[in-house]
Amino acid sequence: MRHGLKHLLAFWRPSTESLPFTVLFKKFQSILERNNRILELMADMGDKLGGEYVFDGHYIEEVSETLGDLVFKLISDFSILNQHQNADLFLAFERIRLAIGEELSGQHILTTGEAVVPLAQLGHELSELAGAKMANLGDIRNRLALSTPGGFVITTPSFFEFLQHNNLLGKARPAAQYWHDQDEEALKHLADEMQQSILTATLPRRLSARILAAFDALAERRQQHNLRVAMRSSAWGEDGCSSFAGQYQSVLNVSRDQVLDAYRQVVASAYSFEAWHYRLYKGYHENETAMAVGCQMMVKGLVSGVIHTYAPHLAAGAMLASAVWGLCAPVVKGIKATDTIVLSRTPPYPLISLAIADKPKQLILAPSGGTEWEDLPEALHQVPCMTPEQMEQLARAAMSIERYYKRPQEIEWTFDLDGTLQILQARPLRYFGEPFAPKQLISDATRRAEIVFAGKGFIAQRGIAVGKVFLVENDADLAAFPHGAILLSRYTSPRYSAIMHKAEGILTDVGSPTGHMATLSREYRVPTIVNTEIATSQLQTGDEITLDATQNIVYRGNIGVLDHFELTEEEVFEDSYEYRLLRRLLKFISPLNLLDPQGEGFAATACRTYHDITRFVHEKAVEELISLSEQRGAQYLSAPKRLTTALPIGLMLIDGGGGTTCAPESRTVMPEQIVSLPLRELLNGMGSLGMWCTEPVAVDLGSFMSSFTRTFSASLASPAEIGRNLVVVLDHYMNINMRLGYHFTIIDAYISEAINDNYIYFRFLGGVTELIRRSRRAAFIAKVLERFDFRVEIHGDLVVGRLKKLSLPRMAERMRMVGGLVGYTRQLDARMHTDKDVNHHAEIFLKAMQSVIGE
Amino acid sequence: MTTATGTPGSPLHILILDDEPIVCKRLKPAFQKMGYEVETFTDSASALARLHETTFDIVITDLKMEGADGMQVLTGAKESSGTTHVIVITGFATLDTAKESYRKGAFDFVAKPFKLRDILDCVKRIEEKRRDEQAPDAPLTV
Repeated sequence: MRHGLKHLLAFWRPSTESLPFTVLFKKFQSILERNNRILELMADMGDKLGGEYVFDGHYIEEVSETLGDLVFKLISDFSILNQHQNADLFLAFERIRLAIGEELSGQHILTTGEAVVPLAQLGHELSELAGAKMANLGDIRNRLALSTPGGFVITTPSFFEFLQHNNLLGKARPAAQYWHDQDEEALKHLADEMQQSILTATLPRRLSARILAAFDALAERRQQHNLRVAMRSSAWGEDGCSSFAGQYQSVLNVSRDQVLDAYRQVVASAYSFEAWHYRLYKGYHENETAMAVGCQMMVKGLVSGVIHTYAPHLAAGAMLASAVWGLCAPVVKGIKATDTIVLSRTPPYPLISLAIADKPKQLILAPSGGTEWEDLPEALHQVPCMTPEQMEQLARAAMSIERYYKRPQEIEWTFDLDGTLQILQARPLRYFGEPFAPKQLISDATRRAEIVFAGKGFIAQRGIAVGKVFLVENDADLAAFPHGAILLSRYTSPRYSAIMHKAEGILTDVGSPTGHMATLSREYRVPTIVNTEIATSQLQTGDEITLDATQNIVYRGNIGVLDHFELTEEEVFEDSYEYRLLRRLLKFISPLNLLDPQGEGFAATACRTYHDITRFVHEKAVEELISLSEQRGAQYLSAPKRLTTALPIGLMLIDGGGGTTCAPESRTVMPEQIVSLPLRELLNGMGSLGMWCTEPVAVDLGSFMSSFTRTFSASLASPAEIGRNLVVVLDHYMNINMRLGYHFTIIDAYISEAINDNYIYFRFLGGVTELIRRSRRAAFIAKVLERFDFRVEIHGDLVVGRLKKLSLPRMAERMRMVGGLVGYTRQLDARMHTDKDVNHHAEIFLKAMQSVIGE
Repeated sequence: MTTATGTPGSPLHILILDDEPIVCKRLKPAFQKMGYEVETFTDSASALARLHETTFDIVITDLKMEGADGMQVLTGAKESSGTTHVIVITGFATLDTAKESYRKGAFDFVAKPFKLRDILDCVKRIEEKRRDEQAPDAPLTV
């Protein structure tokens, strides 16, 4: 018996020394398991950032090690499966593992090293390089399409180069000890010394040349001979979790010959006693100090100020603006009386109250550099400095920024001489007042609200979202996704990462909380509920809802009080070292850069995170298994079993282990001897309710000629040659290659109780008629597959459908449906006369399927 | 032993000991929000010294620490007052350490990382248990 099995599987190692299929398949299963485990661990780690968990440094070290180990073994398994060394994958892994190790040992890792980066290229993903403040401004300009003064940032690598060049990094180290000893005098002394050293230090020549070149390029672009800029601090952590408000220096109205000195000044302010003290108090380590410096065109402000997007202490649902004539600095410093404007947070943001201050002077740019005070004409002293239109415009912009960062914001702004609103800075507003929404208020509001559904599916990312639903069914919908909407979709897809920055929330019918998209939701902190089963049937585009992904409830309408409660929650844990460390580590772990398996960038060398490697290996492993059976299976088939069935499919079966109950040496297999769940369901579907359309199909002359003249490739040889259709089975697995009629179908499926391992891969190709009819048939298949939650791609008449991670009963149903589909489409293209036939046949088929799978 | 805080009506007095400051930093405000009185320590020597001075209603202690470990603190706490409930939290959870903790009188054994809600619930259970135990004797006050 043992010999028989060996003989049976001998074809898997023909001329080269291949491993037996059972071994390869074990590896494949192991890849699936590890893949699952890695995604779960990554999700857990992401979960820890959500604040509900208490974790410590030990946890971070342990989980990093476990994860690295899993990814390494994943690649090792894959190397056995595809019989290659996969050096590129191992190298990618090693790079990531090294970076994680360095972070754990206290070294800060930067992935890129540009000395100067234009504002037009900035976004939050570059906050390591540009500091949080300038990265935020990049988002505001490039993602929210608001105006900010043009400019560039002198990056943190430049900061390190500058300090290293002057041997100043080591000089700062004793600070931690002084802090520990509570020796403020020593720290003060060190701060003074450090600042003096920086102010007189030499800039590396290459760096000063880059800064001046960027300045000149900006002047050239804006055609300003006498360009003046504002130099602003943009340190690590600044305007991030800790506000660092006013801790670092800005230098205004700087000319070209002052730029390098101003740069030194801003850098030196990183070591002012107050700023240093604040960092140490917040638990920042010395290696987390880095100062990027923003360099932006000066804006001649007509009217300027600061807006707080959230001011519940003034009025419910209120925001607060302070405004003066001229430049913004007096408002920030709090040295002059300002107009106080209270606006509603709800569109169209009506004025709630206005208190006008006496404003005899304004701050303006001094011709020689710096700023100076100027007397205002008396007519301007006691009038509002903002028009109602400006107030509304400001409120709209401010709410847009708040929505993006999901925190109340403190925003510095100015209306320039052209009347354009310029955003100068935005930072999270820490609200330390009484909690705005006592529990009573919340329960009152939610009790009155209509619940669309509750307790359905899984929370992938906690949070509250309020907004209008937008249904996404295809890539065109995705491209049209509006800012601030809640994404509604049948299935989850990592492709949604493209709009996550502008989505308030995500709701899907199917999907797993450990899937790729859930990980991305956490990365973007988009409140997400997956696998609700009914979301798309209960909601439609335009419905306003409140998505409570903390209690798992979807309410109809806007329950503002829930949203506001979240805005005021204290989240001091975000300031701790462990939290920051975990977040930094996750940058090497969870972002997914390899989004499109069809894209050029889908390569081992492009893997920058563990997630990338995991995704790549998963995708390639499935491909590998399919090509293994496709290329080698038919070629080396020696003693397979013939399936005894009334269905005209001429199926030969190889049992790789546990797929049937018949003896290994048996040359035939009865349908009832099949254990393999996917094959059983497939055959059920094929044989169901006349799905196997055996009536002769009248092939018209055109179709006949087309089939007659078509050159078949080897794989599409004569359909008369039956008996070569092949299926490889295990108990939960099936890989089938079929030519039926003129079609070539591959189905690869794994169905078990382990929901995360489940998948069906369906590939359909070929046909005898002219291309247009075959394309219609492809459209029909795609329509049906999509109806059953497959992710479908069509290339001409090639249809690829993928389905993952549904429960066993649902997978089994879909397998039956696929069986029916294979039978139904056997010669369908000969009947596809018009485009209308696509829908017609889809309806017939779906109706027939209802009784087969009970949907 | 100079003070006793376990009288009915007064807030629960909790001692937290973990050599990783982050754990104390997270737990302290969470318990304070619930109205409990909290003292935190990052070395077991100071915590043990404090346990000799005062009776705590609840002691939450890490297991693996430099100097005296969590088992010693557990024993110390139970010795200093029979009414003290001890919750052991550890990142090195094994069945053996859990068994040993319970054998030495721990109220609960929680593996790190844990959810804030879990430990809050745990403390609530202790509170209820104490109320039940004290209720028969306690005079009714309105």
